[in-house]
Amino acid sequence: MSAIPALGSLWRALGERRVTAVSVLVVMLAWVGATEGGLVDDLFLPSPSSLWDGFLDLVENGYKSRTIWEHAGLSLERVLSGFVTGALVGTFLGLAMGYNRKVEAFFSPLIEFLRPLPQLAYLVLLIVWFGIDETPQIILLFLTALPVSAIAAMDGVKGVSVLRMQAARSMGASEWQVFRYVVFPSALHEIFTGARLAVGVVYATLIAAEIIAGSTGLGWMILDAGRFLRSDYVFVGILAIGIMGLLLDRLLLAIEHRVVHWAGRD
Amino acid sequence: MLDSDAVKGWLVWGRRQVRRSASALRDRAETGLHGPHWLSVLSVVLVFFAWWFVHAFALVPEVLLPGPGEVGATFIDILRNGYRETTLWQNSAATLWRCGAGFLLACLTGVPLGLAMGYRPRVRAACDYIVQFMRPLPPLSYLILLILWLGTGDASKIALLYLTAFPIVASSAMAGVWTTKLERIQAARALGASETQVFRYVVFPSALPLIFTGGRIALAAAFSTVVAAELMAATDGLGWMVFSASRFLRNDVIIIGIIVLGILGMVLSRLVLVLDSRIVHWRGVE
Repeated sequence: MSAIPALGSLWRALGERRVTAVSVLVVMLAWVGATEGGLVDDLFLPSPSSLWDGFLDLVENGYKSRTIWEHAGLSLERVLSGFVTGALVGTFLGLAMGYNRKVEAFFSPLIEFLRPLPQLAYLVLLIVWFGIDETPQIILLFLTALPVSAIAAMDGVKGVSVLRMQAARSMGASEWQVFRYVVFPSALHEIFTGARLAVGVVYATLIAAEIIAGSTGLGWMILDAGRFLRSDYVFVGILAIGIMGLLLDRLLLAIEHRVVHWAGRD
Repeated sequence: MLDSDAVKGWLVWGRRQVRRSASALRDRAETGLHGPHWLSVLSVVLVFFAWWFVHAFALVPEVLLPGPGEVGATFIDILRNGYRETTLWQNSAATLWRCGAGFLLACLTGVPLGLAMGYRPRVRAACDYIVQFMRPLPPLSYLILLILWLGTGDASKIALLYLTAFPIVASSAMAGVWTTKLERIQAARALGASETQVFRYVVFPSALPLIFTGGRIALAAAFSTVVAAELMAATDGLGWMVFSASRFLRNDVIIIGIIVLGILGMVLSRLVLVLDSRIVHWRGVE
């Protein structure tokens, strides 16, 4: 008897989460009802049980001779190599652009052109130039990460308070010291923000690149499974891509909190 | 693809963070160029010179990199006669139509939902997890599902662009509501404003700058997604043109496609900026 009032108070304590719980429940019930009840063909929308079976199958037997972990690992490797190179070069370029107006004037037309350009448009050209192995994909991701990081770093440097720089100079800091101890730490928050953005864009681009011109990786797996109407594999792949993207973002956020612990305390 | 203000608007999610960085959200509506203009001109000239140089001295095979002259000639040819029976205008129009249709549908539904999510905690509790689940998903990953469901026609592409833009627009409208200063709402209430009036005259105008920022990000995302979608399954559009040209090693057509796409992308983002500074003239004025 006493369990019911306890449950009732727990229910009340959940607050707004009750609405979320009900909403999730409704969506889940609709999914189960539509698939298990036979309203929707398994071909279009797999039921929860066949989704789970598909996942186990992908983990144990893999898809086309590679397990889902191997596909995910290959995708991750590409994302990281493209992102790290692009973000490093972009950040250095952005720091220089923020610090020196001549450098900015020189590079900004190129960056401004590259930025809104759909990445996939030049993938085609890169494939014609470099073949269809890893090289064009990594160059593509490099070119994707570069403008995002450069603009973030440039804005970071431009946002440094002039007062601080003047204070450091008036106390006799050299130009290098001003950069190392004032400008760089102040810009670091923006640089990390740019890095998180860049990872997101690079990740989305990679999946697209794998779908269009890949033979391994999660993006390719989805496309190939879709061609054979294995929608259970497609769903598992989409979920895996979503989870991996989320983890990448969270990882960078954790690093940012570690490194830039002074952010937002002005 | 994203501007600094957009960066901030995009990453600022938690309610507390929104309040804290509300001042940081004051946008530079004009991303004007700083520094000597001749250097910018010089860099563009240098790129073209390098292109000409590589071509003139045949450092790479002609097939891989056609010269500026050939590309110019092909450009005029595509304008007049078209590429495989579709002119450049038709292809550009097809791309812009898909992009615009998906984006506008997303705005029409995403903005009201986002506003409601920001204003009513219950609505947020019911819908937020769906939006937050969709946000980190690369759009192309579910294109194959949409093709499976809706076929290879325009419907699946417009649905894809809708789903690309929707979570961005909805999240930014929600974040926009949170930037409203509590004092303003209280002041309006104290002066006897009704609930609708508070929403219409206080909350909505305060949310509008972030809604526009979100719209700009969403449009950029939709624009790069539309090209990817056309690469996969289309019979017209700029993405299709580029992809089809690559099959026939028509690198001149590819280069034209890239340049046209780059210019279109710049024009689109400028357009939203101009609309933004016209409509949200109070942005950054506190």
